[in-house]
Amino acid sequence: MEHLVQTLVDAVSVGSLYALTALGIGLIFGVMRLINFAHGELITFAAYALLALVGLPVPVMLFGAMVVAVALALITERAAFRPLRNADPTTLLISSFAVSFFLQKLLILVVGSRLKGLDFLPALGRQIEVMGVRLQLLQIATILVSAVLLVALTWFLRSTRLGLQMRAAAEDFRMARVLGVRANRVIAMAFALSGVLAAAVSCLIVVQTGVVQPRMGLQLVVIAFVGTVIGGLGSLTGAALGGFLVGAASILLQALLPPDLRVFREAFVFVAVALVLLFRPQGLIPARGLKERI
Amino acid sequence: MNASVPLLDVSGLVVRYGAVTAVRGVDLAIGEGEIVSIVGPNGAGKTSLVSAIAGIVPPAAGRIVFAGKSLAGIVLEDVVAQGIALVPEGRHIFASLTVTENLLLGATVRPDAEGVRADLDRSFDMFPILGARRRQPAGQLSGGEQQQLAIARALLSRPRLLMLDEPSLGLAPTVVDQVYGLLGTVREGGVTILLIEQNAERVFGLADRVHVMSGGEFGLSGTAAEIMADRRFDAAYFGVHMHETASDR
Amino acid sequence: MAPVDVAKARNHGILPRLWPLVALLAIVAVIALCASFAPIVLQRRATQGLINLIAVVGLYVFVGNSGVLSFGNVAFMAVGAYVSALLTMKPTAKAVFLPELPGLIAHAEWPSLPGALAGGGAAAVVAFLVGLPLMRLSGVSASIATFAVLVVVYIVLGNWTAVTGGQNSLMGLPAYVDLWTALGWALAAIIIAFAYQETRSALQLRASREDEAAAQATGVDVVRHRLIAFVISAFLSGIAGVLLAHFLGIVRVENFYLDLTFLVVAMLIIGGRGSLTGAVAGAVVIAVLTELLRQIEIGVQIGKTTIGAPPGVGDVILALIMLLIILFRPNGLAGGRELTWPFGRGPSQRAIRNDSSGNPV
Repeated sequence: MEHLVQTLVDAVSVGSLYALTALGIGLIFGVMRLINFAHGELITFAAYALLALVGLPVPVMLFGAMVVAVALALITERAAFRPLRNADPTTLLISSFAVSFFLQKLLILVVGSRLKGLDFLPALGRQIEVMGVRLQLLQIATILVSAVLLVALTWFLRSTRLGLQMRAAAEDFRMARVLGVRANRVIAMAFALSGVLAAAVSCLIVVQTGVVQPRMGLQLVVIAFVGTVIGGLGSLTGAALGGFLVGAASILLQALLPPDLRVFREAFVFVAVALVLLFRPQGLIPARGLKERI
Repeated sequence: MNASVPLLDVSGLVVRYGAVTAVRGVDLAIGEGEIVSIVGPNGAGKTSLVSAIAGIVPPAAGRIVFAGKSLAGIVLEDVVAQGIALVPEGRHIFASLTVTENLLLGATVRPDAEGVRADLDRSFDMFPILGARRRQPAGQLSGGEQQQLAIARALLSRPRLLMLDEPSLGLAPTVVDQVYGLLGTVREGGVTILLIEQNAERVFGLADRVHVMSGGEFGLSGTAAEIMADRRFDAAYFGVHMHETASDR
Repeated sequence: MAPVDVAKARNHGILPRLWPLVALLAIVAVIALCASFAPIVLQRRATQGLINLIAVVGLYVFVGNSGVLSFGNVAFMAVGAYVSALLTMKPTAKAVFLPELPGLIAHAEWPSLPGALAGGGAAAVVAFLVGLPLMRLSGVSASIATFAVLVVVYIVLGNWTAVTGGQNSLMGLPAYVDLWTALGWALAAIIIAFAYQETRSALQLRASREDEAAAQATGVDVVRHRLIAFVISAFLSGIAGVLLAHFLGIVRVENFYLDLTFLVVAMLIIGGRGSLTGAVAGAVVIAVLTELLRQIEIGVQIGKTTIGAPPGVGDVILALIMLLIILFRPNGLAGGRELTWPFGRGPSQRAIRNDSSGNPV
């Protein structure tokens, strides 16, 4: 029984992480139809920012990570994606792939490709007892942070002017502009928000693994991509749900699969994703306004 | 009625999409308070003309002057602040947003929150069905209701010129009557209207002046009564160029 | 155009129509020939370049014709490499690295050509199975799905220790790939790619590239044509993987993941993803570039010191070039065009010039 609860909490915790990552990707896809491979690099760079700021008070480290992620997001938007704003989706995808690799290789050039250890917020590694079940404090923290960010993002999108403009732009970009919504502002906001989400994910990952390496973002993002596709491209709820399901499924499979098959769990998840897409190619919660011509 | 300087003054407008010329040198003047209509078949260039005025497509040549100010080089997002609002073909309401949210987006460029709230209430008075459904997602509205929403949304920017591209498209005749009735009320509120339609008969009761557009150019122009009586209307509508001779009159 | 005229134009235009193929084959053959006179180190690099060329051509067959970017072709390279390795390795070597291998494979020792074909064939089969659900997705979703294929294959091959050795390298493969073998396969790949893209299926697929809705409305079965392209593309990629494995003499799953994916995609984008000429151009340009960058990284010796760029600069520069191409010349160096017949008008150009009754002018 205890094991079951632990597994469930673990699943929710990991699922939340992937949900946050998928949200960051989904935000940008919504306004720009761009799948941002470079989102992984936002996570990686935020982690290296933590590394660089080691020794400073924790709030400063967290703030530094966020600033780095947001700045990098805005720079990539301005330099690489704005010129391509009207390009076809495949060109956008290629450019984000190129940006991602450029940033990754640049980072490797500067800091080397070996992983580095980082003992961040070790207190979160403690175990606590909740209703008789032993859980990791980090898992609770992950779930809480994710919930807070989700609520904050939802509030922002639903209750602020800019949030409304973003939602409109995501559904019908040109009509939004006809009404006076500023394209640059809305897109920059989406990138900035994705940076914030990336920083949060980065900090949580660093606490969990204690390791910083140039590939860490990419690994996360690969799985999150798949989650976004299964959730339904263009729908934020879909992205979060898809990311959550993929992450949670990975943990549940780890618990349920026989030992020799456990290493293949991600493969199983992806196969399940393929099956879902077979029956529902537009995803679980497809976006309205993702226009079907004809 | 008509001020000596037209509210909208378009001269020599040319619009191209790649190798295709959709608008071939059009002159259009609309006086303040008028309802001007442009009618013509599919592909005549009506939407391209309106898109150019609204700033969606850049003109290849020609001038667009609104309220004495040239619109050349103005970015799409800034046009609505100049006082021009567009209800595009197909309405383009935001289906996933509520009726109220759609309306609020119409007021994007307005800084006065109080005024916007007042106008919102006024919209619900003028379009009671929208008031009844104010919290519903706009995608759940019927075609006619969506058209009303699109018009109300455009009005929320307090435009001086309201342009409507084929508002009767896809709507039942009784619904179209309703919409056109509303447009009359809108004009009474002091808004100048440019009305694009395929269905020419409809506009004759509402428009002050009518231009018949075909093949990217204006053919016949005149008051609604003049056009209705003119035997050359069919030819002009379908793009056969007729040369006016004394014997035709 | 009247049917008779079409036939006339076709017959007159046979050389201009084949010109892109002939030119590309000639260029590649000449480069290989030049390399054969160079020191052995350069020959090996040329061989690697030819293998990369096959990989890019393989990717092009799908991407160029369908307009959908695939990140999964390196997975097919991996499948090809492992299948060929397993079939052609000496049983004694297999016993060392893969003691748990099922008997039939453990004792197999195939000659290189059947092994290579089996590798390509296995990749094609995987592509077929994977492509059945995948090809129904729209462009970007399909691309992400191919990315997932890459990851899945990586995970499976990397953890199926009994069959593949997992994360460990498989060594002792017969290293039969020399410059001429690679050249032979490269020429074959170009011919296959060219022959495919002249088929009706490929033509219809390219039509869907521009406007999927319109193509479907006219009855084009986009999914089927995409699948065909995907399978052929996988076969060629599989062959490239086979050759890579038998060139290096080892197979490591790590070699068939993101870095190689980036390299192959970069070559295609830089050369131009819309034409076979672009694919070949990309391979050639990158081969030259990597050689230059390698020299820069090795550095220049001035007196006792060596001034060179830090390792890893090459990757950054490659990524930067890819970005610049996408920003300023999105159709790549070849611009989506094939090499054109330099003498006189080709049949397509001739077809345009007709008088009003449809007779060629």
